[in-house]
Parts: sequence; structure tokens; C-alpha cells
Amino acid sequence: MIYKVTHTTTYSYSETVPVCHNEVHLTPREHPYQACSYNRLLIRPHPVTSGKRVDYFGNPVSFFTVQEGHHKLVVTAVSKVRLSEPPDHRPAITPPWEKIRAALPGFRHPQGLDAYQYVFDSPHVACSAELAGYAHASFTPGRPILEAAIDLNQRIHRDFEYDPQATSVHTPLSEVLAHRRGVCQDFAHLAIGCLRSLGLAARYVSGYLRTVPPPGKPRLVGADASHAWLSIFCPESGWVDLDPTNNSVPSLDYITLAWGRDYSDVCPIKGVFVGGGNHGMSVSVDVVPLS
Amino acid sequence: MRQEDDDLLNSETGAAEPAVTAAIPPPSPAISPVLGAYRPVAGLHDELVTAAGEIRPHWARFAAGLEELGPQELARRWEQARRLIYENGVTYNAYSDSRGMERPWELDALPLLIEAREWESVSAALIQRAELLNLILSDLYGAQRILSEGWLPAELVHCNAGFLRPCHGTRVAGDCYLHLYAADIARSHDGQWWVLTDRTQAPAGAGYALENRLVISRMLPTLFHEARVQRLASFFLTLRETLRGLAPHNRENPRIVLLSAGPSAESYFEDAYLARYLGYTLVEGDDLAVRNERVYLKTLGGLLPVDVILRRMSDDLCDPLEFRGDSLQGAPGIMQAVRSGTVAVANAFGSGLLEMPAIMAFLPGLCRRLLGQDLKMPSVATWWCGHQQALNYVIANLHRLVIKPTYPTRGIEPVFGAQLTTRERGQLAERIKAFPRKFVAQEQVARSSAPVWTSSGVQAWHLALRGFLCASGSSYSVMGGALTRMSAALDLLGTSMAAGEGSKDAWVLSDRPVDQVSLLRPAGQPIELRRSGSDLPSRVADHLFWLGRLVERVEGAVRTLRNILVRLTSESDPAALPELPPLWRALSDQGHIPSDHSLRAGREFLGGIERELLAAIFDEQRPGSLHSTLNAVHRTASVVRDRISIDSWRILNRLDREFVPPQQAGFVQLSDALAVLNQMIINLAAFAGLGMESMTRSQGWRFLDMGRRIERSQHTIHLLRSTLVTALENEAPVLEALLEIADSSMTYRTRYLTTLQMAAVLDLLLLDETNPRSLGFQLAALNDHVEELPRDRTQPFYSIEQRIMMALLTSLRLADIEILCELDKEGTRKNLDRLLSRCAGQLPKLSDSIMHKYLIHAGPPRQMAEIQPD
Repeated sequence: MIYKVTHTTTYSYSETVPVCHNEVHLTPREHPYQACSYNRLLIRPHPVTSGKRVDYFGNPVSFFTVQEGHHKLVVTAVSKVRLSEPPDHRPAITPPWEKIRAALPGFRHPQGLDAYQYVFDSPHVACSAELAGYAHASFTPGRPILEAAIDLNQRIHRDFEYDPQATSVHTPLSEVLAHRRGVCQDFAHLAIGCLRSLGLAARYVSGYLRTVPPPGKPRLVGADASHAWLSIFCPESGWVDLDPTNNSVPSLDYITLAWGRDYSDVCPIKGVFVGGGNHGMSVSVDVVPLS
Repeated sequence: MRQEDDDLLNSETGAAEPAVTAAIPPPSPAISPVLGAYRPVAGLHDELVTAAGEIRPHWARFAAGLEELGPQELARRWEQARRLIYENGVTYNAYSDSRGMERPWELDALPLLIEAREWESVSAALIQRAELLNLILSDLYGAQRILSEGWLPAELVHCNAGFLRPCHGTRVAGDCYLHLYAADIARSHDGQWWVLTDRTQAPAGAGYALENRLVISRMLPTLFHEARVQRLASFFLTLRETLRGLAPHNRENPRIVLLSAGPSAESYFEDAYLARYLGYTLVEGDDLAVRNERVYLKTLGGLLPVDVILRRMSDDLCDPLEFRGDSLQGAPGIMQAVRSGTVAVANAFGSGLLEMPAIMAFLPGLCRRLLGQDLKMPSVATWWCGHQQALNYVIANLHRLVIKPTYPTRGIEPVFGAQLTTRERGQLAERIKAFPRKFVAQEQVARSSAPVWTSSGVQAWHLALRGFLCASGSSYSVMGGALTRMSAALDLLGTSMAAGEGSKDAWVLSDRPVDQVSLLRPAGQPIELRRSGSDLPSRVADHLFWLGRLVERVEGAVRTLRNILVRLTSESDPAALPELPPLWRALSDQGHIPSDHSLRAGREFLGGIERELLAAIFDEQRPGSLHSTLNAVHRTASVVRDRISIDSWRILNRLDREFVPPQQAGFVQLSDALAVLNQMIINLAAFAGLGMESMTRSQGWRFLDMGRRIERSQHTIHLLRSTLVTALENEAPVLEALLEIADSSMTYRTRYLTTLQMAAVLDLLLLDETNPRSLGFQLAALNDHVEELPRDRTQPFYSIEQRIMMALLTSLRLADIEILCELDKEGTRKNLDRLLSRCAGQLPKLSDSIMHKYLIHAGPPRQMAEIQPD
């Protein structure tokens, strides 16, 4: 599958912003089933400095500084991405989850060492007995890890209501668990929290989901959104993606931007500015299949 | 306006102090009134005496010297020294800017003596440790081999908020993370030294060590010289060289700033003290701006590039873009500037990582792995509960251990197992077993004892030393001294600098004659001449401007209040004084008393007026009271402490200290209040005098003086409007009072003898530009200041400030005194009122315009709204 993704974010201010510093995760990272053949970042007003680097988790990051007074900042990222289908991980024959939990601290190979950092608390995800309790219904003794994780994925989808009004970026996990409502970010954090509370490694994935219009309706430009899901580590299969919001195991419809411990490591755009008065913002994402 | 630092630089020579008198009786071992009654704590190592009760050899000469001085002389000198500390306003700010939390620094009269060879071995061990910690940081922010090889559990890094991921992979100059390092050390009963805490973030205390030295070397000059004490200055010299060497640009004369977390920070006094001593600009995050991946200092004259930052605040607060987004103290973009190599930061961002106590459990292995050596000085025994064996040990020995969180968390204090009940210990054990990885246990340390001078004689107290190291070349050099804290009780000596009951100067003795070191450049080395220009940070100018206004506001209020008090305490019946109502109105128009409080006749009269006046002076809670304005002066002055000369600071301190109403039987007499005000006038005059005579005419002085002139103009305008616009039957007493308030009676008398006339008084107070109290003088001075403000000289137009001043000054100069004095039918001076109200309206505009153009920035940095993916 080849996609063209256009992601535009517009910030508007009631008063002049003389300077802003930004850091964005808007370049799709490469992984075994994804290659990025084109990525451009358009910024208005034009930034005086800009550059790219790779962050601690291996994601491409762009940074820029706008030093021209402005009332509006528009950041557009255009990317072309080729996806290939991940293999079937055959969940039923993956190892028991306890075995992986016990092995994680002892891994000395690079992939295992890397995975171990995703076992612990992170700014948006705090492990708790409640999360472990919720997870244990899926993670019964001796159950194959992927089978249990897919079951957890399914239960979150069933038990939680999708409600964009219920939460914000800063809603704590305990509240999501108590009210059983939220959006993709909350469900991804929730699943990650459940897995980490059991001692397993799970990371947060930021990206896009291609939406398919209802039969007979035209595709709406800009109606797509940035999306978030998670990935669980099973040594034999590597990292396996799960999307609790849609109860699915992501494959050809999911374009990965970046991954990290949680949202705070990979949020698509962050920035610090001075002045500006009141400010508002709008986002549009357009995912077009090219082949 | 920086006072010459000579007295600080040369202080250790103590040259100014007269030598001890020659006629001392020979020391007799039978008579030792100072140390004779000293009894060390049983079972501990004592610094002064051996287990057999004999004075250790390296103390012998000093101890004899103390006995020669005798307790009376020591007490007298100590009293003098304490006054010096008090006058210098040495404080320690415990987590707040409210004045109640500012604790005076406590120092002991007796220094701690440390043998040269002893300190050499301590130094060697600390150098090894600093090198080791530096290598650990270098590895963790790079290849992370010590994690993959299993020398350090990876989660101690992964879970640690001190591990700043944006710093990973960024090369730091010379691979040096720790330019400054401090270790808290103590020794056990057998004399063995142990490390209790590592300070890798922004080690504090070196400035206090310096201040302690200053006081004690002055108090005991002869003993100090005879003892051949190692100097502290060479340490700071090395620090300055090291920081200079870090500069990526301008290596000859780099701009180095000391970044402080501001007046509410614990270490603010020391920040200001060190900035002054080292000759660096004291800045807060707000003073810095990042443009084109370079860090700049925002000054009145524009942006000036910064080459090196001596960081005195926690690294995670330094960049709200890449580190903690909720920080309002940092400068966004600073990490990117570091990454691109345009600025050097000491200590490097990310170095706070190693302040976790758990690292101590792994240092012996790490030392062998990274240095191929054994650790020279052990750390206090430490167990990280994330390992099963350690956990078992800790649970079984809770009663004798100190429990801490694995990752240092502000506000969480260590728990002493010995102080818990059996039940509490059980609960703690459960908490640890639930999340073992989050806990660390350490052995409780024994500490040595040393003599402390107390009101009940010399006693043995416990000691903790903080040694300081500074990167030098490829290794470290150790301060020949230390910050020594002490306490009567053992567990009071935590790790915080505030902990304990005071500190001591530490004299590290030398085998050789000591070199005289000065922070001034050696003669013969060329230096680039500089005149202080417009490189004053805008924030500092802002505070100086307000300091000028506030001090003058105090003076205006004191003068008016004093005038009224004088009248009320005189022989005449206050109710019969015609000048009292207008003066009262002047007080209320300027907000010193509530406007609804009018003078009532009758029996209530005096009681009510007295209550109101005393409240207007002493009531701290009342807005606009003298006391609350004085508090504001104190707060503002504290913020620009490094810009105020020591003498000025002493006067401000005295202003505060002497503002205490002498209470008799629970209430204050008007005459006592009058005495307080009289004293204040003298202190205020001293402050103003120092400003005039000792400050260089830099932009800093200009802003201080502009604040003063604007405030004095307003005071004069209000005073004249409240008292003269409505004519009185008998105006002479009012005129008399006005001349007194404006300190102009004498001038008037020499000019006009005793005839009090409206026109002559108005001329003197309003138009006469030679009278430093007149409105005309203030406006002329403001006009000069405005001309000198930094601006784009190529611009053909006058600035707003220039226009306001020209208009004001001209209308005042063109005013006709006879017309101003004219009365209309209602008995008011309309023309005078018009002129005064015009001035009253324009001055705030001038103030606003100056604030807007030079002082206020666009406000604090804010985070962009975050987008929730859905």
C-alpha cells in the first residue's frame, strides 16, 4: 500500500507572537513494514532556524524557530509512505506471559535492553494495582502473551465508550479507568498501563489511520485524524501493534509516525511561545491511498 | 554599580584587623578556661582530642592561642563577628520568598582544623569519585555500556526523572559533565571517612564556605596566619579558569552568566554572592533568549550573546521546550543551543541523574569497571530494594536503617527506622514489599564531634563536611576547605544545606607557606577596558526602577507622617491647629490612611487620629502603610542584591531592623513612633547618599534615579494639591509644614527671613530647579535621564518619553507664580490645580512608556495547546 498523508495544524493568536520555538514529530519513521519515500514540512511564517535530528527512541524530530511576529502559524507535513503487511504472529503459540515478564530484566541484547525501558512508569502512565486487576482477567496464569493481549484489546474496546468530550490530553489514567470513557490516546495509555502493571513492555505509537468512507459515500478530504495505538513486546515476534480503539491488530491501514513511552515523548507538535493573548488551533489530516 | 570587590578578594588576609596585643601571659597547661571543660561524645571520633583525652597535635598551637585570648576576649570578638554576619544580611532561604522563611545564617566561632595529610587523602578519594561519576554520566548519555554489561540496573536510569533523554547523544565539551561536584562526607568512630551524598546537579554551599572564612579569619587574624590555612580563593580561581575555557566563542573575554532560579529559590543568597565574587552577571531564565540557536542576554541595549552558563538551578527546569514543559523558569530552545555547540553549560544538562542514593550500592563495581581501581572512600552502606537479597536484608534490619525513595523526590523526607514504632515499621515494610524498586535503605552514619562555642561553654557537636571539587584540565581540583555543618543531635544533620543548627569554617592546614591568591588578574596581563554600558539586563533595570520608587515612597510617607507626629506631640492643642486637616487630607490622598476617615472633632479626636496614624505606620497588613511599603523595598532589593553595594545593603537592612516600635505596656506612644521615623530619615539619607556618591553613572543608576524622581514628583504634586488648592484663612502654618516636609525651611529662611508667603513658598517647592526637593528639579533630572536612555540614534523623531518630558518641563518653566497663586470666587487656586493635575496625569504615562519600551518583555513563555489524537 502507498499513501500520501497531508497533516496541517493551524495556530491562531489574538495578539502578536514575536517568537516561538517548536519541536515536531511529523516524519513517519521507518520500520520493517513501513518505508517513507517523501517528507516535507511547510511552515508559515518562514522559520529562521530549522533542522532535524533523531530522538532517544529513534524517531525523526524536526525543530524550528519562528522569529517573525505573527498572528497565525501554519505547519503542514506532507509524506509518502509504503506499507507492507506484517506476518501473522500466531497468538495461540506465543510463550506464556509470565515467562516474558521474568526474562525482561535479564535481556542483554540490544532489542531486549531497548524493550526493558518500556516496562516502567512514564509521565502519562502510572502503574497501579487497579490496572493490574483489570488486566488479570485477560492475563490468566500461563496464557500465551499475544492471545492475552488481544483479549485485553478486545475488552477495552467493549468496556470503554469512545467519547471525545470525556477527556483531555491531561486526564489521568485513573480517571479514564473509573469513568470508562475516552479517546484513542486514553485507550492506548490504558492498555499500556495494564501491560506495564503486569511487568510487561508496552510502548505508545503515534500515527494515522486511513478511514474508509461508508459504501456509496465519497471520501471526505481532511476528515481523517491523527491516531494512537500501542505495541507490546514478545521476544519471538518483536513488537506487535494493537489498537484498542478499533479492536484491531493494525496492518495496512495504520501509518506510524513515531513511538515512545507515552504521548509526551512523541506528541506531533509541541511549542513554546511568548505573547499571543488567546490562542486557538485546528488540525486537518488527509490520508490518500495512491495504489 | 558594582562595588569594587577588593574587600572580598583580599578579605582572607585580614590585613585590616589590628594584631592581638603583645602582653599575653605565657600559656599554662593548668589554666585552660576555653577548652578545659570540653568533653567529647563517648564512642565517637573527636576532631580535637584523642581517645586518651589529649589534644591532637595539629590543634595544639591553635588551642593554646585560644587560651591566650581567653573567653572574654573571644566572646567580645564573636559578638563583633556576629554583627558582621547580621549586617551583611547573610541568609538562607528555605523554599520561600516570604520574609518569615529567610533564616539568618548561623556560624560557629571556632573553626574546624584539618591536617594537611588527612585532607590530601580525602582529596585524592574525592577526585577519584568525581572522575568516576563523570565517566558514568558520559556512558549513560552515550553508549550505555554499563547497562548492557549489567553493572547498573537499567531501570535506575529508565525510571529516573533526572535522566534527560534529549541530552542523550549530545557531545559535551571535553566529555565533562561535572564541572562542579560536591560530596557530603562524615567520619565514623574509627576515623574512617565516608561519602553520604553526591551533589552533581548544581552543588551549593561554596559561597557560604567563603563567607564563613571571611568572618572567622577577621575574627581570629593572628591565629589564622600562624596556622597556615589553605586559601579558598585559589579554588574559585580554578573555577573561573575552567568556565572561561568552556567558551565556544570569545575565548579571551567570554560572557559568562550565573543562572539562578530567582529570589524564591533556596540558594538565592548564595547565587547573588557568587555572581558578585566571580564577576558574572546574575540572570534568571527570563533574562535569556534563544535566537538562531544561540543564547542571548536581554539587556536595555538589546541582545548580547552568552558564551557560558554557570547553572544554579535544576536542569529539568531549564528548557520548557525539551525538558519539563511546566517550567516557567527556563529559556525555551536552550538545549538546542547546547546541541549546536554555541553555548556551554556547567554542570552539563542531565548531570542531576546521579543524585540518586541508589547509585552508591553499585559504585564499587563501576569504579573497577570504568577506572580499574578500587573506590578510595566508601559510600555509606546502601541497599537498593529492587534486588531480592537487598530487600530481605532491609526488611530484617529496618530498625537500624534510613529509608529513602530511589528517585529523589522533592518534599519526601528520609524515614529513620529507629524512630518508628513496631507497628509503623510493619507498615513501612509492607509499602516497601509492594514496590521494592522504589526504595533505598542506607545505614545511619556515625559522625565525628568537634568543639562548638555555645552560650553554655564549649560543647561537642556532630559534624558533616561538604567538600567541593572543580574540573581542572582532565582532572579535578579540591577546595582547600569545606562547608562544615554541625548539630547537637545526630539525626538533625540531613543532607540539605538548611539541615543542622549552623556551620563552621574549616581550616585545612598547609605544610608549606600559603600563597596569596587574588581573583584579580595578575599584573601585566592585558585586560580589555570596559565602561559599564547598556548590558544591564532589562529585568534588573526594572527592579532598580521600582526600588528607586519604593524607597522614595517610604521617604515621602515618613516625612509627611513625621510632620504630623511632631504637631501632635507638641504643647499646643492639636484640635486648634489649622494645618492638620490639609495634612491629613494629603495622607489620605496618597493612600496612607483610608479616604473615608475624616477628622472628627470632639473627645474622640485625638484617640482616633492616633490609632489611624500608628496603623498607617506599623500595620503590615494595611495596603499603603509604611510597614507594607518597607516590606516591598526589602523584597525588591533582595532581587537585585548583586547590584547593590554591601554598604547600601547594610543600610537597607538597618532600615528594616530599626523599624520596631518601642512597645510600652503593649501599646506604642506617638513620641516613640516619632523616634522611629527620625531614625528612618537618617537611614534613608544614607541610602540616597551612597547612591549619589558611590554608584557609577550606569544605566542601572539611571533607572534607580528615574524611579526616585518620578516618585518624588508625584509626592510633591499630591502634597501641594491636597494642601494649597483650597485656600485657608490662615495659611502660614500650612506653608510652614510644607517647607518642613520638603526639607526646605532653611533655604527659605536664608532667602526671606521669616515672612511666610504663598508665592515664595510655591516658587521654592515648584519652580526652583536648584532646590533638589522641588518639582522643577525632579522634572529637569528626568529630562536628562530620558535623553540618555539607549535608543536608535539614527531615528529623526523624538521618543514618546522625550516628548512627555519636554512638554512637562516647558509648561512648568513657563508658569507664572502670581497666576498660580490667584484665588477664584470659591476660594480655590484653579490655575495651580490645573498645572498640578496636568503633571499628575503625564507622569504615569512617562512611567508606562519607559516600562513598556525598556522593562516589560512579552511575558513568560507559554506552551502551545496540545492536540489530543482521536
